[in-house]
This record gives sequence, structure tokens and C-alpha cells, in this order.
Amino acid sequence: TALILTSYYILSKHFYLPANYKNVQCTPVCKQRQHAKSNKTRTSFCHACFVTHGILIFCRLIKGHEARNYDYTIYHPLAEISTWMGQMVSENPDVVTLVDYGSTYENRTISLLKIGLKSDVTKKAVWMDCGIHAREWISPAFCQYFVKEILRTYKTDSKVEELLKNLDFYITPVLNVDGYLYTWKDNTTRLWRKTRSPGTDGCDCIGTDLNRNFEANWGMVGVSQNCCSNVYPGFKALSEAEARSVVDFVEPRKNDIVCFFTIHSYGQLILFPYGHPNVTAPNYNELAEISQAAAKAIKAVHGMTYTVGSFAEALYPAAGSSMDWARLIGIPFAFTFELRDEGSFELPENQILPTCEETYAGVHSVITYVHNKIFYSAAITASATLWTTLLATWFSCTFFS
Amino acid sequence: AHTVLYITGLQFVLKLTPHTPAASPSVPGQEDIQAAMPVEELDPSHYPATRAAKVAEHFINTRYGSPFAWFGSSGVKKAGLEDMGVLGTKYHIEFTLKEMTRNQDMGLCSAEVLFHRADERKPPQVQCTCSGAFQVNTSAEEEDLYQRLRNATSLLSGSDIPNSVGHIDPEMAPFWHLGGVASSFIMLRESNESTLLNMAHIDNFTQMETKDAQLMFQYDILLHDMVSQEILKWKLLLSWSPDGGVKVLEAEWDPKCQAIPTSSILY
Repeated sequence: TALILTSYYILSKHFYLPANYKNVQCTPVCKQRQHAKSNKTRTSFCHACFVTHGILIFCRLIKGHEARNYDYTIYHPLAEISTWMGQMVSENPDVVTLVDYGSTYENRTISLLKIGLKSDVTKKAVWMDCGIHAREWISPAFCQYFVKEILRTYKTDSKVEELLKNLDFYITPVLNVDGYLYTWKDNTTRLWRKTRSPGTDGCDCIGTDLNRNFEANWGMVGVSQNCCSNVYPGFKALSEAEARSVVDFVEPRKNDIVCFFTIHSYGQLILFPYGHPNVTAPNYNELAEISQAAAKAIKAVHGMTYTVGSFAEALYPAAGSSMDWARLIGIPFAFTFELRDEGSFELPENQILPTCEETYAGVHSVITYVHNKIFYSAAITASATLWTTLLATWFSCTFFS
Repeated sequence: AHTVLYITGLQFVLKLTPHTPAASPSVPGQEDIQAAMPVEELDPSHYPATRAAKVAEHFINTRYGSPFAWFGSSGVKKAGLEDMGVLGTKYHIEFTLKEMTRNQDMGLCSAEVLFHRADERKPPQVQCTCSGAFQVNTSAEEEDLYQRLRNATSLLSGSDIPNSVGHIDPEMAPFWHLGGVASSFIMLRESNESTLLNMAHIDNFTQMETKDAQLMFQYDILLHDMVSQEILKWKLLLSWSPDGGVKVLEAEWDPKCQAIPTSSILY
């Protein structure tokens, strides 16, 4: 401790503390105090000032760049997102755990953050994956924002606290890790979409479209069997390690997962199952209603219009998507969000925050509906039954006694 | 092999200045186009309508676009589909138009977009009238840019627009718009009922030497098709002047970067 304090004292003589370090008013105050009465007062004050904060600052410097200063308004490369995930855990150990649940073709780990208040019983859960398509950078940016936001508000916002109490959130900031990394290589790779697995059967191109690779009417529509195509569904369903990772995690939990989000760009759409034009979800009307409400919530934030519809009706027919698969195995509420803008994958960084804010409102609207349906309608039914019984009893007592 | 196409003197490249008042290209016999077949109502926010609106957007840009005037649809209000039998499929759409560089509302447009039968491989035919005051007064900026480029001692060039994080330098913005307008000529010609084309990226552009009044640029552009999700690389030679408008002189598709035709997709 003495060594730390001494070295910090020496350093503080020569260096200003970082100007943007929020909690430390020390530097300007100490500098002001240099005009105070005596040298002795000034020196003592400065020393006390620095020492008090010195330990804090030094510890944080050792710990590394603190996630509270993480910039949610810029795009982050893979390494920074991985570090950030670790920091989310270390800063919120009561509610966040890191789960490594799979690996990619190039043998990178696929991880999610499990967020929720601890419970003795198995909880219902919400799944969100970002970055299935490598070039859609706003998608991982949103997942990071979403995590930040629920962690920031659950202690003060009783509604968010209730969500974290009753639900677990499984958030994968980057699913197509290999592809995402590839898009950061240089400006010729920025618009890569698929995985990085090699072609098969003599076909020379790389990559499979992950969002055509799931077991949901696989290969039937909206695909090309040419492996060079950007909608190549793979040589078979679940050929991709990334898709298998999702299935291996979600399938065993399918009775607990009530809501499934997959985040994409661009297009400004809220889509629900199915991508196959001849298949209609049994809860189509309800899904449409929920989506309309979400679009309304989005519009209220910054005035942006998001189109609502089934995937096949609103965008184009496409089979093998993660959303379709989720619905088919019985997850009742599954959505694809296509974020800003309406023409480009290279969304300017100054649009990250407004996009995240509006998307959060839309996603929150959906989660709230689903949560209330599960946790309140049961209660409503119970109390309605109770009142009906009481009234019936009173009635019969009054009139038939 | 490259496909090289010379588009000099094509009929639909008109010499309109962007601030010409709403001169709607009317076509003789328009009044004859009654609903021979019933027009099926379409959801205006869903893809059949939005693809037709995108084609109308491209059409408007070929006529009225400039480095300071770039148009987009801000929402389809009404859409109908008319089966024209052997002629193809016609979309009747009403949409709101926006000038995108200023985020300026341009009022309502109504268009008829005829997609020929897929096997005919003909570009769609568009008729479009816009009700609002189609005045985008950009003459001052255009003249300024034009004079600056003509009088410059060196030829201008740029690359990687926007960059990976979506940034465009303010001095490059007019060339981003110019690329978008020039791309509209290609996107209009390449559109069908199974495409939705946008300009995704400018790899680079270079100003070329010219002797006449038109400025000339070579562009390497990436287009994105939403339906096939392909990135299509095009080389364009284009000319521009405030009086002459935007013209595409040469266009060449570079298939090295993607090897499959969109027709291999099952719809």
C-alpha cells in the first residue's frame, strides 16, 4: 500500500488526473488550492485529496478500462466486446453470468450473458441473438446497449426489476463470431454476411447463410444451392457449428423460453414467423398485434416507422431462419427485428444511440406483453374465479336461505 | 467475362435541370390505361409495393437527381397490382417522396410500374407524376461545385465512402449523392419483381479529364440487392453538369466478386 501511495503521489505531482474521470474533482480543486494561504495548507490539502482518491483510481487503473466508461455510441471490435462481457459479469455478479455455449467454424467461443435475479425455481426466459449476419454491425451494438440498459435500470425501475425477477435473459452479442471478425479486417471485407466455413462438393466459395441453416423448411425457398450465394443454406440443415450451438442451448430450454428475438439490419421491420409463404403461425393475429404495438413504441421515441408483418409477407420468402425454427419447436413469441436504416449496412455511428433507444422501446414493449400474459393473466383468472365464487355464494345464501 | 454496356444517348436520359418545376413525363395513351383487369389491393408497407416504389425512386433520380438532389420514398400510401397478362404485372402506387440530402418532404407521387415477364429480361417501365412543388433549388450549390471542379488544378478522387463506421466526409457527400443518382440508372434497368436495389458503398471515384462542358467521373460502386442479399460491383463512367444533369456513359458489371446470377434463387 505504501509503495502504491508513494508512486501515485510522485505521479500526481507531474500528471493531471484524467479530465473525464467523473468522481474526481481533485485536480482543479487542488490546483485552486495552490493559491491558498500557506504552502503548508496547500500541500496538505492536495496530498489528502490525492490520497483519498488515489487508492480508488489506482485500483481501477489496475483493473483496466472500466465498463462504466464503455462507449455505447461507437462500433466495437470483437476483442472489446469480449472484454466488455467479462466486465458486465464482474460489475453485476448477482445478476449476470457468462455462458460459453458453443464454438464457431474457426474454433472461436460463442458466449452469452445470462441476466436475471437469482431464483430457486426454474425461470421462464427470453432469448436474444445479435450478429447472425456479420455486416449488420448495429445488431451487436444493440445487444450491448440492451444489456447496459436493463442493468442500469433494474435497481430503480420496478418494472424492469420485475422482469429480471420473473425472467432470465439470454443475450448473445455476437453469434457469427468468425464473420464479424472478418468484417473488421479491411474495407474490402466490411460487407461479408455469412459464416467462414469452406464450400463443399467442389464448390469453391466460403460461407453459409446462418439464417437459412436452421431446421425450418430448410432449403425450400429464398435460398440458392450455389455455395457462392449469399443465401446459401449450407450443404444440409445445421451444417454450421454456430447454428448447432444455438440449437444445443435453446432446444433443452424450449419449454422455458417464452420469447425469442433475433436482431438484424437493415430495413426497419418487425417480422414474425414464418418465412415460408405457405405456413401460417397459429398465433399469427397475436404476433401481429404485439408487433404493431412494438412499432408504435418505436415510433414514439424518434418518429421512425418500422414495417410490421410476417417475414414472408413483409420482406421476402425465406426458409431456415432461426426465428422460424424457434416458433416451430414451440416458442410462442419469436421476432426478427431489422434495424436502421433503409438502405445501408454502414449505419453512421451518430445513429447508434437513437437506433438503440427506439429498438429498446420496441423490444421492451414485446417483453412486457409476454411477461404480463404469463404472470398476470393467471393471477387475474384466479381472482376472477374467487370473486365469482364469493358472489355466487352470497347470492345463493341471500335468496335461497 | 465482363458485360460491357454503352448507354450513350439512351432515350430515358433527359437533360433536365434539377430545379425544373414539376415536369411530369406524361406518356401518350395514358388515358387509355384503364383497369382492364381488376386491380388487386396490396398492403402498402409490404414488399410487393415497396419494391415497386423503389423502382419509381430510381426513375425519379435518373431524371431529377444531382449531387445536391437525391430522392427516396418515405412510405407507400396506397398500392394495387394489375395483372397485364402477357405484358407483365403493373403496380399502381402512391407514395410520399423525400429529398434525402435535406430530409425535405416533396409531397405525394403516383406511379405505374410495369414489370415485364421475367423471361423477357426487359427493364421495368415507369410512369410517374408528383403533385407537390418539385422544386429543389440547388442551382447555387451545383454551380459552385461545378466551377470549383472545373477550375481546380488537380483532378478530384475519393474512396471508401462511407467508411466502415458509416462516416462520410462533408466534402465527399455530393459525390456520394452523385454516385447514388448514377446508380439509379443501373438499378432502374436491373430491377424486377424479385429485386430491391440500393447503393451500398462507393469503393472509389476519380474525376477524369474532359474537354467539354461536362465533368466526367469514373466510379467503382457496390450495389446491394435485398432479396438475393448479393453485393453487385459496377464500374460506371458518368458525366455531370448543372445544365446537362447526370448521365451514365458506360457501365460494366464486375462479376469477379460474386459468381452466381440471381436467377438461381428459389422464390
